[in-house]
This record gives sequence, C-alpha cells and structure tokens, in this order.
Amino acid sequence: MKNGMGKWLFCAVLVAVLAGFAGAASAKEILIGNMQDISGPTSVWGNAVTRGAEIAIEKINAAGGIDGAMLKLVTMDTKANVQEAIKGYNSLVSSGAVAVVGPPVSNIGLALAPIANKAGVSVVGSFIDPRVTVGEDGKPQAAMFLMQPSSIQYSEIMASYTIDVLGLRKVGVLYDQSNAFAVSLMKPYVEYIKAAGGEIVSEQVYTKGDKDFKTQLAKIKEAGADCLYFPNYIQEAVLVTNQRKQVGLDVPIIGGLDFAPPFASLVNDPEAADNIYLANNFSEKEPQLKEVWDIYKAKFGENPVNKVFLGYDKILLIREAMKLGGGSSAAQVMAGMPQVKDLQGTTGVLTISPETHQPVGLSMVMYKIEKGEYAELGRYVPEKHKK
Amino acid sequence: MLMQNIINGISLGSVYALIAVGFALIFNVLKFSNFSQGGVMTVTAYAGYVASRYLSGRIDSSLVLFSVVLAAAALSGAVIAAAVERLAFRRLRRTKSEPVYYFISSITMGILLENLITIYASSNFYSYPRFFTTSAVPLFGVNVAVTDMMMFGLSITSLLVLLFILYRTKIGLGIRAACFDVNTVQLMGMNPDFLVTMALMISGALGGVSGVFLGMNYTLYPQLGQMVVKGFVASVLGGLGSIHGAVIGAVLLGVLEIFFISWVGAGWAPVFIFVVMLAFLLVRPRGIAGVIVQEKA
Repeated sequence: MKNGMGKWLFCAVLVAVLAGFAGAASAKEILIGNMQDISGPTSVWGNAVTRGAEIAIEKINAAGGIDGAMLKLVTMDTKANVQEAIKGYNSLVSSGAVAVVGPPVSNIGLALAPIANKAGVSVVGSFIDPRVTVGEDGKPQAAMFLMQPSSIQYSEIMASYTIDVLGLRKVGVLYDQSNAFAVSLMKPYVEYIKAAGGEIVSEQVYTKGDKDFKTQLAKIKEAGADCLYFPNYIQEAVLVTNQRKQVGLDVPIIGGLDFAPPFASLVNDPEAADNIYLANNFSEKEPQLKEVWDIYKAKFGENPVNKVFLGYDKILLIREAMKLGGGSSAAQVMAGMPQVKDLQGTTGVLTISPETHQPVGLSMVMYKIEKGEYAELGRYVPEKHKK
Repeated sequence: MLMQNIINGISLGSVYALIAVGFALIFNVLKFSNFSQGGVMTVTAYAGYVASRYLSGRIDSSLVLFSVVLAAAALSGAVIAAAVERLAFRRLRRTKSEPVYYFISSITMGILLENLITIYASSNFYSYPRFFTTSAVPLFGVNVAVTDMMMFGLSITSLLVLLFILYRTKIGLGIRAACFDVNTVQLMGMNPDFLVTMALMISGALGGVSGVFLGMNYTLYPQLGQMVVKGFVASVLGGLGSIHGAVIGAVLLGVLEIFFISWVGAGWAPVFIFVVMLAFLLVRPRGIAGVIVQEKA
C-alpha cells in the first residue's frame, strides 16, 4: 500500500516538474549578453553601462518585448582582463546570446574581434580604437560595432576645438604608451594639430601602473606648452590634475571622456580641477535623455554618468538591428546592424556605416571644468566631419 | 629642471625609504624579505581613509586631523602586522622552517590582504580628503609638493625614532639580540615571540605611515601596496638588513628613477634602473652599506 502511494507520489512530482519545464520553455526569452568590468579597475564604467542597458531592457519588456519575447540581460564580469573577456564571450555564445553589449575598453575589443567574427554574435561596444571595427585589410570586422565616435573622430573633434576654437597652438602631450585606448586617441590628435599649423612642443609617455607624472609634467612646462593633451583613464586623470598644480603647469588640460562626471568630484582640490576641456557624449539639457535620466535617478538615487547612456543606446541599437534584420537571431542582428540609420538615441542620432561599422557624423558636447564645476559649451563637430 | 628632478627624486625616494626600512628591520630578525608589507600598507591606507572620512567633520584643525589619521593608520598597521606574525610566521619559526617558506607565506598574506580590500572596498579608487590648503610651495626656484616635503620629513623622523627604539630601549636591545641569535635570546629569559612581534609591529606602523602618504599622493586603490617591490629593490641596493643603507638606497633609487624618466622616458626608465642595479650588485653584492647578514645559529 505504502509502495503504491510512493509510486503515485513520484509520478505526480514528475508530471509537475515536466509541466514546469514546458511552461518555462513556452515563455520565450531573447538572451542579450553584457560583458563589462564589474569588479576590476574600470568597474565605475562597467557598472554604469550595465545599469543603462538594464533600464533599456526593462523599458522594452514593459512595452511587450520584441514580438512577444522578453529580453534578458546576462552579465559577465571581464574584470578589465582580456582573458576573462574571451571566456565570458564564449560562455555567452554557448548560452544562446543573440548579441552582446560590449565594454568601453579597446584592448578587450581588439582581442574579441576575431573570435566574435568567427562565432557570428555581434558585439556592440564603445571601444573607440578604430582597429576594433575595421580590420587591417580595410574591411569592417563582421561582428564588431561601435556606437560612439571612434578615436579618430573623437581626437579630431578635440584637436579642432583646441586649435580652431581655443586658439592654442603649442601642445604638450602625455599618454600611456601601453594602452590601446590612449595611443588611439593620441596619434590622430597630434596629426590634426600638426596639419592645422600647430606644434607638439613635448610628447611624454608613461606606462601601465605609473602613478607619478611630475617629471613628465615638468618637461612639458619647460617646453613652453600652451596646453596639455591627456587622453587617459580617470584615475590617471585625477593624479595628473593634482600633479599639474604641484609642478606649476598653469595651462588648460584637453582631456578625453574620462574627464566627464564623476571626475571632478574625485579630485579633492577644486582649485586643481580647473581649466579643463573635454567632449562628452551628451548634454543634460537635451530632451531625448530626460526620461532615462529620471528613471536612473529614481532607481539609484544619483545622477547618471555618460556610460549609462552608452549602455542604454547599445540596447536600442540591438533592438533596431532586430527590426531591420527581420528577426532576433544572432545572424539577423548582425545583418541588421549595418543598416541602422538615423536612430535617435540618448547620445545623439545614430547611423552605422556599413563600410566601417562606426557611427557617421556624430557631434560631441563640449564642456569646461571650472573650479570643480562643469560648464557646458554646446555641441561641436569639425568642418571636416560635416562633409 | 635639474633641481626639480632632484627634489622629485628625493620625495619619491622618501616613499621608498619608509617601505625599505620596514624590509630591512624584518630581514634582520627573520632573514627573509617580508612581502606582506605591501598588503599591510594597502589595508592601513584604507584605514587612514576611513578615519579621515569619519573625523573630517569632527576635528576642525587640518593638522590635528592629519596627525590623527597618521596615528590611526600606524596603529592599524601595527595590529595587522602582529596578526600576520601570528598567522603566517609564528608556526614557521617554531618549527625552524627554511626561509623560503617565510617568503611564500609573506607573499600569500600580501595577496590575501589585497584581495580582502578588493572584496570589501571594491576596486574603485578613492581620493583622500584635502588636509592642506596649499598643495605646493616654491623652494630653490622650483615647486615642491607639500605632501612630498612632509613625506621626506616623516621618513627621516621615522628612521630616527626607529634607531632610537633599536639602540636606546630594552625592546630594541632584545630585537637586536634576536637578530643575532634567537635561541640564545630565549636562554637569556627573553620571549622571542614578543620580540619578533614587536619588530613586525614597528614595521607595520611604518607601513601605515607609508600607506597614508601613498594614498594621498596616488589615490587609494587595492593594488597600492604593489609599490612594495620598489622598497625591496631599495633595500637590496642599500644592503639587505641595513637600516641606514635602506634609506640611502631608497633615495638613490628615487633620484635615479626620476632622472631616467627625464632622460630616456618612462618606457625605458625601468630597464635602465634594473641594468644599473645589476651592474651595481655585481661590483658590490652586499649593497651600499656592505652589511654581512648574520646567519642564524
């Protein structure tokens, strides 16, 4: 009797479990991978991108998803490490991800390009080194897509602003020679300045892990530079800003995206965080990002940084690629991505070039940091980019 | 430019000196290079930061606040170093293990402390609050950072205090005796556990002071203590085991580093420094001080 009851009970449990599986399978999900530095040295960015992507996915799902299927974000921690990123990408591919939100790190983008091209799952990133999206043969990397100005476009915006708007012609440069991001922002800038009749009076380097830049800054000061171009990560940007004051280099800093918030709040001396120019992806005043701004602030109790909007726009791009590619498979996303045209994102109007897999004609918003406060100077795009 | 480089070099050497002195002290007692000092420096830098955040609204005077923060970091350094001794070295000492095991154990402790900080404080970097309104002062026609001047002053002060403890106190006498022969020290009625712990606590307190200055100068991040390698190089240059040699080696290393950055660039500077170091050690393997390290009896 007891035995019979046990069998019935076992059958009932088995049926319930199978029904559960069937139910889970019927609720269709589209897996979107997300590879960010969650616990490494650039986790400030990684977490911001992730939060932005999550807000976009919540919004899409709240509106019914894509053809009735809900989007699901699966995040892998790259720890800002190339090997971890490769492991993470392969894991996402085998899990069935149809596209991957990539990190804002060029070194990782460069390592992923050949693997992603082979796997056929798109990586939509903000890795600005153009080699990530265009191969050595001049052809686009099939699975790699950039959604903010490339380092060439960005550097030229900064260089044009330096020489054409600010009228600064004698430039000192300090950059991390071991970092693809920094090098990719340095070369086009220097070329543009020279071509426009300016002069690089001192070109100084440092390497990964260096923390004391006073010697290089003193040499730039001695060379009589009108300004300092410093295209590097946020921690070094904080150190250079403090050390610039310590060596008495009283000239403007022309900086990269890392000078965007929260940079100024991390410099403990507002007198040092002064006379710094940077180009950012967005303006707080622009209406298209108000909704995301408000959602973010309500959810996390703080103002969003630029990487939040990049994360949000990456998901918008993936959704648009699904529409244009005719479905939500990895192949359809990859086919749709180069067709994206005039998509209104939070960071601007996005058009992906089929030739370069980079955005076309994106302007940037110029800012000046004065005594620790950001002052917006309006959108800027060089004449060269308008043609 | 020459004077600016010399001053930058001395200030950088001051940081290395504080680390190198800790190395030299422990090498004297236990005959190994204590790489857990890096982890201790990191944790104490964070401890100082927490103290500064907690006390910044409660203490008005910047100088008093800074002194309290330094004291808190030094104290936490001493406590952590004592814990490291208990966990990582005491059993090895009692079982008379080979020096290589101390070395491995110290590296493990350094990594453990660094990872604990990463887990509890994340890998984001933090900036110490501003203690002084002036960040740089003109001296000999060049700008000198206030923190660099203080670091130099404190390195010298720490060294003098350490020498006073070692040569003018009973504990110092015991530590020096333990450096020579732990077994005989025990026969003389002294407690070697206590003496070794004291030596590590002094080294940890120095690490605490270094940690605060490193945090102030270079921001706060979990890998901050990896600068301990430079302290080790300085103590090798100075002569492993020699305290005044460690200071001379550290300042020399700092000045060399700055001049090489100025002459050949930051990319090549480490190569040149290690070439100079190798050449120097070929000529003078015992380092600047020429200390003959006593083997344990």
